Amino acid sequence: MKYILLMSGTKAGVDQYHSWSQKDIETHMAALRSIANDLSGSGEFVATQGLAEPAEAKVVRGEKNGIPVTDGIFPEAKEFLLGYWIVDVANAGRAYEIASRLSAAPGPGGAPTNMPIEVRRFATYEPKSQ
Amino acid sequence: MKYILMMNTMRAGQGVLQWPQKDLRAHIAFMIGLNKELRESGELVSAEGLAFPDQAKLVRAGKDGVPITDGVFPESKEFLAGYWIVDVDSPERAYAVAAKASAAPGPGGTPLNMPIEVRPVMSGPPPEML
Repeated sequence: MKYILLMSGTKAGVDQYHSWSQKDIETHMAALRSIANDLSGSGEFVATQGLAEPAEAKVVRGEKNGIPVTDGIFPEAKEFLLGYWIVDVANAGRAYEIASRLSAAPGPGGAPTNMPIEVRRFATYEPKSQ
Repeated sequence: MKYILMMNTMRAGQGVLQWPQKDLRAHIAFMIGLNKELRESGELVSAEGLAFPDQAKLVRAGKDGVPITDGVFPESKEFLAGYWIVDVDSPERAYAVAAKASAAPGPGGTPLNMPIEVRPVMSGPPPEML
């Protein structure tokens, strides 16, 4: 079963990340790299991707005279997707375990960020017997 | 340049299940047609639909490594319903594709004009994450 693990944050949270020390950022990235390596090793890794800054986000609603209607103003409280992991795992419990590891990735001073990770199943249709 | 086009809905997005069968079919046929067009133009990287929000969990790392899961979300939370990743020549082309997806037919065949969030995807995960 495929699951997507979504890491989201507000614009304020992203601005805060920019103030992390270089060392803290490197430690954080090393932890994420190690999780990705483990998932590749277990054959559960499908994809991971980081998204560019919320400042570059646009929302598009329909079109007017063939021109897309774009807007770049978002409510302060809006949660932006920062990045995601797609994993192919045996069950939901395993997806939660991986999300928990990602959540425990170190932040400033090496303390776990405990970031909430949203876990969602792909809406693919699989035989009921499985 | 890679962009992700995100279709977000409130929990009420499950109202789609109450649409008349005919309208639902027309909506899905539109989406299949859009994906086919993007595949033929070589712009489609991936497209996925996510299972309904009632199956979503929020996971945080527990102290002893046991995942803490929570399935309670604020009423106002936006859920990712599905996404497209496209590889296009310009942001304008990404907006044009988003506008098209936004105008997918809803009940009675009226364009939904739903908001589609458009974000640049980092050209690849940072090398230190691989």
